[in-house]
Amino acid sequence: MITETPNGFSLDDSGQRIVVDPVTRIEGHLRIEVNIDENNVIRNAVSTGTMWRGLEVILKGRDPRDAWAFTQRICGVCTGTHALTSVRTVEDALNIQIPENANTIRNIMQMALYTHDHLVHFYHLHALDWVDVVSSLSADPKATSELAQSISDWPKSSPGYFRDLQTRLKKFVESGQLGLFRNGYWGNPAYKLPPEANLMAVAHYLEALDFQKEIVKIHTVFGGKNPHPNWLVGGVPCPINVADTGAVGAINIERLNLVKRIIDESRQFVEQVYLPDLMAIASFYKDWTYGGGLSSTNVLSYGDIPDNANDYSAGNLLLPRGAIINGNLNEVHDVDLRNPEEIQEFVSHSWYNYPNQDAGLHPWDGVTDPHFELGPNTRGTRTNIESIDESARYSWIKSPRWNGNAMEVGPLARYIIGYASNNPEFKEPVEKVLTDLNLPVSALFSTLGRTAARGLECAWAAEKMQYFYNKLITNIRNGDLATANVSLWEPHTWPHEAKGVGFTEAPRGALGHWIHIKDKRIENYQAVVPTTWNAGPRDAQGNIGAYEAALLNTPVANAEQPLEILRTIHSFDPCLACSTHIMSPDGEVLANVKVR
Amino acid sequence: MASNESFYDVFRQQGISRRSFNKFCSITAASLGLGPAFAPRIAHAMETKRRTPVIWLNGLECTCCSESFIRSSHPLVSDMVLSMLSLDYSEVLMAAAGHQAEAALQETLRDNYGEYILAVEGNPPLNEDGMFCIVGGRPFLEQLQEMAAGAKAVIAWGSCASNGCVQAAKPNPTQATPIHKVIRDKPIIKIPGCPPIAEVMTGVVTYMLTFGEIPPLDRLGRPKMFYGQRIHDKCYRRPHFDAGQFAEAWDDENSRKGYCLYKMGCRGPTTYNACSTVRWNDGVSFPIQSGHGCIGCSEENFWDNGPFYERLAKINTPFFVESDADRIGLGAVAVVGTAIAAHTAASALQRARSNSNAAKSE
Amino acid sequence: MATTSETKKAPSGFFAKVIHHSTEVESPASKIYVYEAPVRFWHWMNALCIVALVVTGYLIGKPLPSIGGEASDHFLFGNIRLIHFAAGQLLIVLLVYRIVWAFFGNEHSHQLFLPPFWSRKWWGEVWHEVRWYSFLEKTPKKYIGHNPLAQLAMFTVFLLPLLNLVATGGALYAEGEGIDSYWYMAFGWVFSVYGDSFNVHTVHRLSMWVIVCFTMIHTYLAIREDIMSRQSLVSTMISGWRYFKDDKE
Repeated sequence: MITETPNGFSLDDSGQRIVVDPVTRIEGHLRIEVNIDENNVIRNAVSTGTMWRGLEVILKGRDPRDAWAFTQRICGVCTGTHALTSVRTVEDALNIQIPENANTIRNIMQMALYTHDHLVHFYHLHALDWVDVVSSLSADPKATSELAQSISDWPKSSPGYFRDLQTRLKKFVESGQLGLFRNGYWGNPAYKLPPEANLMAVAHYLEALDFQKEIVKIHTVFGGKNPHPNWLVGGVPCPINVADTGAVGAINIERLNLVKRIIDESRQFVEQVYLPDLMAIASFYKDWTYGGGLSSTNVLSYGDIPDNANDYSAGNLLLPRGAIINGNLNEVHDVDLRNPEEIQEFVSHSWYNYPNQDAGLHPWDGVTDPHFELGPNTRGTRTNIESIDESARYSWIKSPRWNGNAMEVGPLARYIIGYASNNPEFKEPVEKVLTDLNLPVSALFSTLGRTAARGLECAWAAEKMQYFYNKLITNIRNGDLATANVSLWEPHTWPHEAKGVGFTEAPRGALGHWIHIKDKRIENYQAVVPTTWNAGPRDAQGNIGAYEAALLNTPVANAEQPLEILRTIHSFDPCLACSTHIMSPDGEVLANVKVR
Repeated sequence: MASNESFYDVFRQQGISRRSFNKFCSITAASLGLGPAFAPRIAHAMETKRRTPVIWLNGLECTCCSESFIRSSHPLVSDMVLSMLSLDYSEVLMAAAGHQAEAALQETLRDNYGEYILAVEGNPPLNEDGMFCIVGGRPFLEQLQEMAAGAKAVIAWGSCASNGCVQAAKPNPTQATPIHKVIRDKPIIKIPGCPPIAEVMTGVVTYMLTFGEIPPLDRLGRPKMFYGQRIHDKCYRRPHFDAGQFAEAWDDENSRKGYCLYKMGCRGPTTYNACSTVRWNDGVSFPIQSGHGCIGCSEENFWDNGPFYERLAKINTPFFVESDADRIGLGAVAVVGTAIAAHTAASALQRARSNSNAAKSE
Repeated sequence: MATTSETKKAPSGFFAKVIHHSTEVESPASKIYVYEAPVRFWHWMNALCIVALVVTGYLIGKPLPSIGGEASDHFLFGNIRLIHFAAGQLLIVLLVYRIVWAFFGNEHSHQLFLPPFWSRKWWGEVWHEVRWYSFLEKTPKKYIGHNPLAQLAMFTVFLLPLLNLVATGGALYAEGEGIDSYWYMAFGWVFSVYGDSFNVHTVHRLSMWVIVCFTMIHTYLAIREDIMSRQSLVSTMISGWRYFKDDKE
């Protein structure tokens, strides 16, 4: 049956059904089902979030100052970004102003997260969609060395280096124990890289695996550990003491030097390894233009990285804010997270009940009543689903909409908005990449565009770490050591009731938290996260979400090996634990849940 | 020599000579009472022994344990996965997806039954027939129990698998359940923490590979070597604690001097973990060193022992919606004091009255 | 002269001694030796320990304002904890001593440990005492040892919380000694009962407040009974002798 969606896509579920579950190399649990036509082209796509944890009900009744720790455990991959959003949310509700240093340190931490997260995503979660590990065994180490040296100054590029690595890989493969690389889609015709490029990429896969652990040491310096560093409502927990007795127990010059070294190394790695690899790989996949989905029409960003403390207006945010709809790049709409009409969540196709099932609710009024129920056309049983029925409820994810529109969020959305806003920090790198690869602007709206935007953003974030590091040093030199404002720390200083909203741009996209504090405790807490925007199911009108849209019209080389599906889904960097924890303020409804 | 990377190769990579290796094999043969003739056979076994297969499952979790694991600096995780073990299933890192991924599990059950280590990140929810966490169309609980059946040993990564962690905090809407409550017939090594320290995770695995046995465990099933002491016992700020020197507020003079964070709610005195000794991310720091108290993330009920910034836990009582031990105690003292005062007055009154009655009757 | 109809009816034998009933007297001697020296010694030493433990324990949970200077020059908090631990260990030794004495001492020495919950008569007397303290009874009964209400209180709000404090305190001390220590072998099980170390701290502190409340009531009633009832109390715990005032007339 062929259906036209209101947001302009054509769905045909008559062809062969392909199920990918579990989708791997993501955070959390996701299931993708598609129908392909006789030419192996995807004509229908269904995205199902397959986990739910209920964190917001757990938050109810707790101390708002603790909320960051709970929300941080929404996701351990984009670790810290929920915590940052949460402390901003509580500060907004209680009107707490943070010191300049705290804002700067938070920005350094957030940029360290970006750098780490994008790097790990590219090499360890995404690269194997483009890179054939087995093919690298037949590469010529000398030619690999020449290739590597032609694109970058990175020192680890000698023929001997690649030869040793190849020998190690050969032994690994010949052992018959392929471990992580077991059952991969090696040899699939959709892999286009020559063996030498594959070998170089595998070398950098391993180098990046060893290097990524360095980047997060910035979190360890300021937050004590990573994953899940520590945060503080009203500032940051690490005091600064550079000159006085006891400085060794605080942020001192030795700690700052460590941060500086990591920033330098990160910038070097991104510039000399990540970006050249990205460009090299992209140059072989220029013809693979699929996966654009919603990116050419509807994109959204809340903006982030306040240059100065406590000012969250668009002009002070280094990452751009705005919404583009209907593909009109000439008009960037403003976004207001407090407006009950703008951001709403729908549950028509989600495993939740609403008082009015097809109406949308703003997060401050959010309700969630879990209700697991499969549609009549499901194949299989309740606890052994063979294929899902997307005409009914089919996901643990809600469908958020901006003014009724399904939106794509993430690095590509940010770059498109930055590009449309004529922000040179975003427009110029995009234009350079397009020129270098000899591609039109429309090439941005693709799986590869998403992957490229992430790489550019990684370089941008590494630069910004340096910018904020310098800012921190300047501020300390000027005698400002303050890192926390405790004037409103004690609950007795708080109003009887307060509401707040906080936002960040997580590496994966727009992230917002909404809080309602009553009698010093959390009355209601809601989070609308990037993967909810991207991976959400259809809404009441039948508008499909970003994942579903991006998969459509992609040809699949081998229906047995869903390589192309992984490619496009991975380009969004899914974080399912994030998207599927959404839960109500309304504890009583849980009584309906069947206890086994 | 064998074509795969065996124990011998790992030995060699760690700088152990052929000579030492042969000596090791002779001693092993002797210690097993097998006699010198068996030494070459042991050497052969060591040279050709396959890397231990590891199956890493993910239930309800946030992936912080996987993220922490790849932060390991010694050993490097690239060496772990290429040379020391065979990570045959990890949803976070593996190349395959969908039915090819599921096939890897079935192949492991078929080829390595009783041989592999099952590492579990996250926990299964029991509500809604387990469908709060679905893998391959089925409840995660089924996958977990299936794979546990053929495992040699089970590692419970992090607080989710060990204790339930955040999704099991009150009221635990999904009925998320630590794995030892659904796997009862296998040895389970608990590595709590949210997440555990990277080098602790790889340390436990390499201990098992090196010594061929499960590390000694404490009464809760945690390796004694990493969880035998409290953070407080080895905290470098401990002298300030004993001296009575405490940070009184965030970013005050005392916290800038690195005083003890006890008054800020630090859970170091009640938390068993290696943070103050091994420290985090190659020993760079740990929470207390970076100015924030420990939140006790490796302890069983740490989410429900909040607020994190108070020494005493919040206690919900029918009378005071929110209270703590001291508020309840002082409240009780006040009530008792008032009652005593009232009783004293009443007693004095009664005594005066009966005395005057007695006087009248005389 | 000291024997009464009640004591005559009491069962005999060692076990009967241990589960001794409160002994109501109808026409007692004007003066009876109740508390033997070991009991009195225990009482006052125990009281001292409790005072030291409550003061230091309170300060351990809510420390004094921070002091300055070099950490190596001070051991204030360490000393507070040292006093707490020393007093706690002394209290445990005294408690063991007191339990042992219950087997060897006179019948009043084991009254504390097992009130006769199964005795209807005893509950009736508890009720009588409640009425007496509520000014509903004109005349109090006379008891050689504790009155039944006091006995009930001693058991439920003194002995049980004290044992709980010993168990939780021992467990918390065992943590410092290490999980391989004898202390941990003796008290490690407590963590299984209360969940984790943090909960054990909470329970320990709540139990302390029960003891504080008990001490207040105990002190007040002892003084009050000295004045209002027909027998001596405070002096009895000093000299061991109980005087019955209206018999003196």
